[in-house]
Amino acid sequence: MMIEPPPPHARDDAPHSAPRGNGMNAYVLAAATSPPVATEHYRRLEELIYETSRRALDTAGVSRGQLDHITIGACDELDGRPISSMLMAAPAGGFATDEMKVTDSGASALCLGYARLRSGDVHIGLVTSWCKSSKTDVEAVMRLRGDPFFTRPLAIGALETDALFAQAVSEEYGITEDEVGRRVVLAYARAARNARGMRHREPTLVEVKSSSYEATPLRSAQRAPLTDGAVSMVLASDRFLKANPDCKPLARVAGAGWATDSYRISATRLRSMESARTAWHSALSQAGLSAAKDLDVIELECQTGYHEAAYVRAFGITDESVISPSGGAFAQNPLFCTGLVNAAEAVLQVSGTAGGVQRPNARWAAAHSCHGYAQQGNVVVMFEAIAG
Amino acid sequence: MTQTVAVLGAYQSDFRTHIPDHTFVEQAQLAAVGALADAGMAGDDIDAFVFSLAPTHFMGVADADRWAIDHIFAAGKPIFRVHTGGATGGSAVQAGYTLVRSGMFRSVMIVGAERIAETPDAQEVLNLIFDVFYERDMPLSTNTTVGLWTTRYLHRFGQTQEDLARIAVRARRNAMKNPHAHLKGEITVADVMASKVIAYPLKLFDICPRSSGSAAMILGNMEMAKRYCSRPAFINGAAGVTDTYWIGDRLSPTSKFEFVDLGPAAPAARACYARAGISDPTRQIQVAELYDPYTVMYPVQLEQMGFCAPGTALRLDKEGFWDMDGAVAVNPSGGTLCTNPIAVSGLVRAIDAANQVMGRAGAMQVAGVRNAVSTAVGGIAQFFNCTVFGAEPYWAGGHA
Repeated sequence: MMIEPPPPHARDDAPHSAPRGNGMNAYVLAAATSPPVATEHYRRLEELIYETSRRALDTAGVSRGQLDHITIGACDELDGRPISSMLMAAPAGGFATDEMKVTDSGASALCLGYARLRSGDVHIGLVTSWCKSSKTDVEAVMRLRGDPFFTRPLAIGALETDALFAQAVSEEYGITEDEVGRRVVLAYARAARNARGMRHREPTLVEVKSSSYEATPLRSAQRAPLTDGAVSMVLASDRFLKANPDCKPLARVAGAGWATDSYRISATRLRSMESARTAWHSALSQAGLSAAKDLDVIELECQTGYHEAAYVRAFGITDESVISPSGGAFAQNPLFCTGLVNAAEAVLQVSGTAGGVQRPNARWAAAHSCHGYAQQGNVVVMFEAIAG
Repeated sequence: MTQTVAVLGAYQSDFRTHIPDHTFVEQAQLAAVGALADAGMAGDDIDAFVFSLAPTHFMGVADADRWAIDHIFAAGKPIFRVHTGGATGGSAVQAGYTLVRSGMFRSVMIVGAERIAETPDAQEVLNLIFDVFYERDMPLSTNTTVGLWTTRYLHRFGQTQEDLARIAVRARRNAMKNPHAHLKGEITVADVMASKVIAYPLKLFDICPRSSGSAAMILGNMEMAKRYCSRPAFINGAAGVTDTYWIGDRLSPTSKFEFVDLGPAAPAARACYARAGISDPTRQIQVAELYDPYTVMYPVQLEQMGFCAPGTALRLDKEGFWDMDGAVAVNPSGGTLCTNPIAVSGLVRAIDAANQVMGRAGAMQVAGVRNAVSTAVGGIAQFFNCTVFGAEPYWAGGHA
């Protein structure tokens, strides 16, 4: 057997560095989210997905026939049918092309889609994710995640694990109810400026602080309301852009980091936020950035105000003006794909097309997603503006 | 620069209907530990993980991959789960390949487990994959649908049920050399014909068993291959194609893909071969490990993947073309007809193919294997993927 010589970018030198000048870049040509709605009564899930993917393709100026792959982020249990991608693949653009599905989160699908382009085997693809949370007993699905021996008998779902997380990070970081309330009020205020969001009524600090307890210490108004939605992105390689000069990228994917913590919902795990930190630093490193201060926008997935308080500290975010200009989950929150919605918002920011929530001169943006019991898994994707 | 991707080690458990002595996560752990031992690696040597897990409805624990994270040494590391129905294991291998090939990780473990017999009747779950408005009331199931497919295939090419029965006979015979196989033994065409009719013309012996077990494969870049494996198999080609969900749309004269042909197989194989430098599969590929949970899927894949002309696979079978010492050794392991742990069936196919290239197939070993191909099929023949393993890395410019 002949052995090839080590490549010039040997792994030990740059284990995760994203390319820029070697022709293996991934670009976002378009990002589309479905119109915000709490309960989608009028369109089946297939229609919601089709319309969103169609809009992404049309915006990108790419036909479905040009696609050489799609990557889906979807959850059978939330969709209410086994192998839900059988029905949903075609509406998502997946016919006569290479399709893969990941089940962790929409943002996880973006990570795989990014890797597929970097592999050099494929050059133009869609990443699509969705969740019709109104049609699903979300808490029942979350309780089904419990192992049958220890966790399930406790009957804990997303609410209870979010509350455990809130307890743990409150003790770890000294987070107060005042801070949480302030963050929730500000998130709703930002979301109110986002035309792609629900534009929920903005609560007052008193309303948040006096809302009913749902699971100690979580209060109802501290939690982001669930919505229905779909999100789709068109990703392309250098080679595709060279062959299709009319297609103009909105952003370069500069890095993608993801990690998942232990299944055990222990105080140690909850306090450490290890997978969040790992994903964050991996993505930063790939993008050639050193810290949160290098970013103009950081779209965080925060299902509660406690989450924002915790992630701000875990990621070392000192400039609060960069946090979730879109309003994040308080703008729209189709649960499984909220992180990919964040990615779409981050792309719009660095392309200067974020509308009423546009940050001035946004060049670097991060999108964060979390998934699983008490944020067991975390994803961070970095986007860079296209020069010129 | 893309990276060469090598198989460094693998593990598969013995497969049977029930695994009462281990939990799901222990099954996954056995596979992870086994693959690490096979590769001479430790958990810390793995940079990232891909979990291979099809519907969790069989087992009743949603997203059970997360439960297994501590057991497979993945806590705190990058991991995601891939799920494309029956094609899951093949897709998971290709996702792992992508992570290494992209240069993002030096090493990736693909691992999964199945305990399909936790549900009293897997068909009850599988019946739910059909469209609720049009197709579910037909009544379509995986068995009735493939029964229709088989009827159409036999009619089109003038073949008989006995021709298909020989596939089952060979599978059980080959599986006698596979220590992990679920079903094995000497049966006759008459035995197959006499087995209980499940969905005409399918008899019980035309159909795979419900298998439980686990498997894992470790992939690495060339640096890791040099460090950990003296004779790796290289993933030189990988591709997949998806068909429409609607079976009726695969039966009309204007259909892009014809249902009886397993439409996505031919374009996927062409793309895979092009990447792997395969221009004449029958001459260049010595072993095919096909995903064949039904006998009809064996000849159809051989025909659509370029090993023979449409309608000829069963005739060539009579002449021994697909025997262990034939033109191409097809399913030396016994294939999916003998063992079908859905979550990892495609992964097991890939492991069996890679082992042939690495010279680790034991009693199943075919002499002189330079290239082997594995396949996986999901949905109702909707998702198809194939992967070519080679003894040498291949670049577009030719072998090194």
